[in-house]
Amino acid sequence: MKILVCVKQVCDSADTISINDSAGWITYGRNTVFRMNRYDEYAVEEALRIRERLGDTIIDVLSIGPERVGKTIRRALEMGADHGIHVLFEEERYMDPAERASLIASVAGKRKYDLILMGIMAEDDMECQVGGLTAEMLGYECATGVIHQEISQGLAEVSLERELEGGRRQCLTMRLPAVLTVQSGINTPRYPALTHVLKARSAKLECIEAHELPVLPSPQRLVRMDLPEEGAKGEFLEGTQHEKARALLDILHEHSLL
Amino acid sequence: MINASVSVIALHEKGRVAKETYEAVDFARELSKDRPGIVVLSGEEEAERVSRELAEKTGLDVVCLSGSMLGEYSAEAYRKTLLSFFRNKGDVCICIPHTSEGSDFAPQLSVGLKACCITSVEGIGEGVFFRSMFGGKFRAEIRPERNSLVLTVIPGASRQQVGVPDLPGAVKVIPLADMAVSTRTQGFREAEHADMALAKAEVIVSAGRGIGRPENLSLIEKLSSLFPKSAIGATRGVCDLGWLGYTHQIGSTGNTVAPKLYLACGISGAIQHVAGMKDSQLIVAINTDVHAAIFRTAHYCIVEDLSTFIPLLIDIHLKRGG
Repeated sequence: MKILVCVKQVCDSADTISINDSAGWITYGRNTVFRMNRYDEYAVEEALRIRERLGDTIIDVLSIGPERVGKTIRRALEMGADHGIHVLFEEERYMDPAERASLIASVAGKRKYDLILMGIMAEDDMECQVGGLTAEMLGYECATGVIHQEISQGLAEVSLERELEGGRRQCLTMRLPAVLTVQSGINTPRYPALTHVLKARSAKLECIEAHELPVLPSPQRLVRMDLPEEGAKGEFLEGTQHEKARALLDILHEHSLL
Repeated sequence: MINASVSVIALHEKGRVAKETYEAVDFARELSKDRPGIVVLSGEEEAERVSRELAEKTGLDVVCLSGSMLGEYSAEAYRKTLLSFFRNKGDVCICIPHTSEGSDFAPQLSVGLKACCITSVEGIGEGVFFRSMFGGKFRAEIRPERNSLVLTVIPGASRQQVGVPDLPGAVKVIPLADMAVSTRTQGFREAEHADMALAKAEVIVSAGRGIGRPENLSLIEKLSSLFPKSAIGATRGVCDLGWLGYTHQIGSTGNTVAPKLYLACGISGAIQHVAGMKDSQLIVAINTDVHAAIFRTAHYCIVEDLSTFIPLLIDIHLKRGG
């Protein structure tokens, strides 16, 4: 079986970034730490579990972004993925989901994967779109929020469960090839084993320049980043830690909660 | 503000209309120059009933696309049906509730319609749509660059709420021929994490990743024990880390609660969590980040490090005589 896992590199904490008005995006700080999007870690782990169960499986990992993204691809190799594909895109700007999906689709199309996995969303732009868009561009089926999956013998179908509101699950079967976006909690991602870490260090990543790939014109533009509207902002308790604690206790007494 | 004809895709389960559908209808009214239309997909059995309910509650005209393959939701059946319905309708703006179903098929549908897809829309601006990024810390303004749009709408995205109309809208049920669909829904499994303790609690003390270490859960437990009818809640992130079981999870894929007091500790306030607790009577949030999104939901906001603040709070309370 051939699996592609798409991973995104995100900043570890939004505390270290600020709005960049001239670029209409954000600026990362000097102290910004980058890591793999957590939801994508679950996707990498799920691919490894499929390989362990079925055997004879190749796992490619793809990520789009500047030089620094290589580290996130290597992280997936350290976990046990076989081959890393870096779609090199140097500009630090917002990349809309359709642009991202068309890059993935143009790389994935010729390689004929049976299964494409990724997280249900990216922690930074939270769009939940790339899976569905990629699938449609490739003519594959897609299921989002997958919390359980089992590939059938013969690799023709996948039985899966999607997580719905309140934790209910929809059970369905879908033909392969398919794109699944993985919900967190589907598994527990492993820590890299030393043997894989050593192998990943020397592994050569396949680099593809993004501008050499055919991309559809963007259907949308991010014109501005802003702080959210103030609106229904609550009352901030002021003073020293002591004063705040006393004020909170008074409020709780007033509401007869204590 | 939109020239395209605006439609809402009504989501329902076996004819029970999802409340998010009506929120999307309010949004569509704000967006549309004319009266928006409603399109509902359903099995043959519930087609009339669900269409009438929608037409009565909104006063808008309802088109029901009905067929046996639409009895249970699947992205494939929804996408194919909607694509053939909208394909020849010129420029369209399709508003879909942002639920586990809506966010599943919306992006797929947009590709076939050559439309721009914007998800979790929370407001309408001058030629732009607003949506949150980075856990609600920032708001992005997105401008569509196509004539057709597919939008998924967050509850509360429209400020106007329309009451019950005088006259119901017209209903048109269109029976569809059977269609080949390869995806098959095999049934549903009920949640394993419905927690009675949370449902009964008058006070919920809830932990987010911001508590830093699992050891700090003991602080949450101590704080919770000050209140007689209390329970411990958590964000999905905390459950994913294994710090607390999924029975404690509050949010769109977990428990929905509305206690007298909700004490949010180290919770950033992502919309998925807020969806599960926003109706609490009194919300107090403790977080070190003054810009945390949870402070826009909380009634009282405390910018403090909870590892020192909670022990102090408990100490003062006990010294006052409990």
